[in-house]
Amino acid sequence: MTGRLVSLLAPLLMGLCTASGLQGQDDPGLAFEVHEHTLENGLRLLILPRPGAPIVSFVVQYRIGSVNEQPGQTGIAHLLEHLFFKGTTSIGTTNPAAEVPLHAAMDFLQDSLLATEARIGAGADSASLQALREQIRTLEEQASAFVVSNQLDAILSENGARSLNAMTSEEATTYFVELPANRAELWFALEGDRMANPVFREFYAERDVVAEERRLRLETNPGGLLYEAHMASAFQLHPYGKPVVGLMADVQRLTRQGVEDYFRRYYGPGNAVVAIVGDVEPSRILRWARRYLASIPPGEPPPPVSVQEPEQSRERRVEVALDAEPILRVGWRVPASTHEDAPALAMLTSILTGGRTSRLHRRLVLGDRIASGVAASPGPGQMYPGLFSIEAYPRSPHTTAELEEAIYEEMEKLKVAPPEESELQRIRNQMEATEVRRFRSNLGLALQIAESASLFGRWDDAFRFHERTRTVTPQDIQRVVRTYFREDTRTVATLVKHRASSPEGSGRKGP
Amino acid sequence: MRVPSSPRLLRGLAAAILLLGAVQEAAAQEARRSGLEAVRNLRFPELEFRPPQAEAHTLASGVPVFFLQDRSLPLVTVYARFEGGYAVLPRELYAAATALPGLLRSGGTATLSPDSVDYLLDFYALQTAFGGGGESTSSSINLLARHLEPSLSLWGEMLRNPGFDSLEVEVWRDRQREEILRRRDDPGRLAFSEFNRLMFGDHPIGWEMEDGDLDATRFSRGRLQEVHRRTYCPDHLLLGVVGDVEWDRIRPLLERITLDWAPCPAALPEPLTPEMRREGGVFLIPRDLPQSTVVMAHPGGIVQSTDQEFFDSRIANSILGGSGFTSRLLSRVRTEKGYAYSASSLWTTPSRYEGIVGAVTQTKSESTIAAIRLILETMEEMRRQPPTREEVDRAIAQIVNGFVFNFQDPSQIVSRQILYQAQGLPVDWLERYLEGIQSVRPSGVRRVVERHVHPQDMIILILGNPKAFDAPPQSLGNVTIWNGGGSGAGAAPNGLAGGNGVSGLPRGAQRSPR
Repeated sequence: MTGRLVSLLAPLLMGLCTASGLQGQDDPGLAFEVHEHTLENGLRLLILPRPGAPIVSFVVQYRIGSVNEQPGQTGIAHLLEHLFFKGTTSIGTTNPAAEVPLHAAMDFLQDSLLATEARIGAGADSASLQALREQIRTLEEQASAFVVSNQLDAILSENGARSLNAMTSEEATTYFVELPANRAELWFALEGDRMANPVFREFYAERDVVAEERRLRLETNPGGLLYEAHMASAFQLHPYGKPVVGLMADVQRLTRQGVEDYFRRYYGPGNAVVAIVGDVEPSRILRWARRYLASIPPGEPPPPVSVQEPEQSRERRVEVALDAEPILRVGWRVPASTHEDAPALAMLTSILTGGRTSRLHRRLVLGDRIASGVAASPGPGQMYPGLFSIEAYPRSPHTTAELEEAIYEEMEKLKVAPPEESELQRIRNQMEATEVRRFRSNLGLALQIAESASLFGRWDDAFRFHERTRTVTPQDIQRVVRTYFREDTRTVATLVKHRASSPEGSGRKGP
Repeated sequence: MRVPSSPRLLRGLAAAILLLGAVQEAAAQEARRSGLEAVRNLRFPELEFRPPQAEAHTLASGVPVFFLQDRSLPLVTVYARFEGGYAVLPRELYAAATALPGLLRSGGTATLSPDSVDYLLDFYALQTAFGGGGESTSSSINLLARHLEPSLSLWGEMLRNPGFDSLEVEVWRDRQREEILRRRDDPGRLAFSEFNRLMFGDHPIGWEMEDGDLDATRFSRGRLQEVHRRTYCPDHLLLGVVGDVEWDRIRPLLERITLDWAPCPAALPEPLTPEMRREGGVFLIPRDLPQSTVVMAHPGGIVQSTDQEFFDSRIANSILGGSGFTSRLLSRVRTEKGYAYSASSLWTTPSRYEGIVGAVTQTKSESTIAAIRLILETMEEMRRQPPTREEVDRAIAQIVNGFVFNFQDPSQIVSRQILYQAQGLPVDWLERYLEGIQSVRPSGVRRVVERHVHPQDMIILILGNPKAFDAPPQSLGNVTIWNGGGSGAGAAPNGLAGGNGVSGLPRGAQRSPR
């Protein structure tokens, strides 16, 4: 068997062209027959019928995320994302007439609490603060007598729903769920109700939940803390410098009224895209969309992001001292993903760290053996000029400085000589293969077309972008590296190990 | 909310699944457009669906193959599962057995260098996966149908004649050493793996990679070859195929992979039954962090079987904390109190020995003891206020109405058949499972909780900063500072997970609610 294999493969090992069979055609994603409709209130609807098991995926994406937040309000989009599961004027309550007025009463006390904290300091051990907190708690308990917790989840799950969840990013907020196809109408009834009549009940407990989420993802996670410090240093004015989950001090001061106002203004159908992929009949879907969603007022466009990050003229460096093993993050300022250089930068990500054949893996992990892992990623969002980051984990006793030096050397090599065409071809093959395989998931497709339509105006934008990566040349790669990967536009963040003196000691130093 | 009727399920592989609802559509819906009332008035048509079935074949070598044709995309996936892993091998082979799947991928073959393999995988746009648990390892290859022959030849070569390239072996060792160092930087993962060690002691479930496992006598090319020789043979192999290919076309290629392949030199021993810690107590790993990780459990008393008690335990776990926002734990700990982002119960049910029952959460230091008390109280309440008919029906409906998702992707059908065969379960286990679930009654749920869930006996592990706790941990019981017995207060993981009949906690895997 071995002999046969070698004789079969040997000629191919010398070849340069692709065998994937996917080259030279239009991107296969462009062949999807997506039915597009826009309702009178501006809601955009994308319907993609697919054969297979009788199931259907639903995605709603609102074009609003953490970039739209004002200083002092970081985390509001993410908290709102959580609160949108709390029910409506009829779902989640036994008596809205008795319940909802209690919200106003506790919010009034909360305003007093914030004002008092601002005056005497949040940590102050004051009887008046204690009393206010106690009164809020009492009202919450009174309200809870009318609350049917998690009723929205219960309705969906007893109808067999899967994947019920949501996510907030820099630029969008996305809700999704999958249902057996015969229950598709349920989604419209529930979604229409919460778009029109949401009630942000159990507000204070949920705000605490978000604080716990922040602790889980960032404050107990060395990589998370370093990421936060890196973005804060690279984006000193632009909201990309603020975490999606929000700054702890901001999160703990968000108010229900503030979230409600924000919702009413910006989360209307005019700012939303709905994508439905699965075993559905478009005409019926459209009928339900009209019945349940068409009468909801459109809302306003999202607050514009007017701040631009000023030009960076010299390297920035930030250190985070933690009781943890070292990590390196290097980031260079790059243009937004709508820029003509974006496809080359996407290819560059793969050239550097896309799998075992990538340059940095071969150099740092296999060659010099100074790193245990390395990954490049563009980010943090897509719509505004961002940061092309490389994160690497030094292998003890090697240092972040050694990794930095090796990474810069590899970038210099690309400035001197463009990559071989064959190197690019391998990456194209990888990308094609990954894309076709992604089509297997209805939910994955629904998320992708919703995001394309919501952020970039067309459902097929991601496929078109993908097509553009095919035409990237070795010279394009060299040019973008020369243009953007400069010392003066670089921001470097390092996690510096600062071991606690004892297991119970307090060696922790935040950024 | 109306609880949907249970489906009728016709037994056997040819069964049609009928998910019931009222047949009338549309009627009387215009009246109310939204809100609870509108939702309650919805009527759904029947869902009629004949799930595709895998065919069972046997190769000349005796290797069983489950085959399912699926023409929706021009792709083919082939799965292989080999019985045997570190849990049935001596500790000296722990590192080699853990490394085996990864090095089958990265270590080249007898005739191809690692670079050549990488090149060919890219060239044919192949996607491979290599993984393993304690008692088995597995691999899959996803390929474009038009490249079936060379792709399968390459994959067969990787599985049968691995090269274990010496540089790749060293790189694997490097990475493990680094992981040992970095173990303590991930509190969730550390707590899970320390809990396994605490609960299962010197049983493979409780093992952790240590520096000693990685020295040259225990981890080398020779050791890898030894593990490969002892576990990779046709008598340990199950295959599955799904995709755009006919059986007649793929059969000879699979025959070629398994041709002249000698059986394993000796049968593998039965996995050891773990001796679990049975005495409750509080164990503390002090760490200066703003949030504590809490893991608690005790032996769970249930094995996977067709006994009604097994099905009762599945519904009990779903109601207690296994099904997210509709379960009691998350409702109380998160929704009501805001103590945690995530809180869930676990009730593992391996097939050969009992699993564990308990709960997991993360909460700020200042609510650590209160959150633990609330979890214990919620468990206690499962006895005092046993699940109602409504709760039980909802938990059943969740499984029954979502049953169609078991057939979302044809590869699920094939993977399940491989798993059932490996675990000695009947081919129609999924249908039997569904029937068993539908026969659960509140009385059974109450009984299984009363028999097997004992909050006062929980072994509670807390990783956090006791100085900042809301109350001394001693208020929960006797406290032992836990140093693991491995390499310091931060010893830990590797890829032990469920699914192979091993019943420990998955390392680092956490439910991720929104």
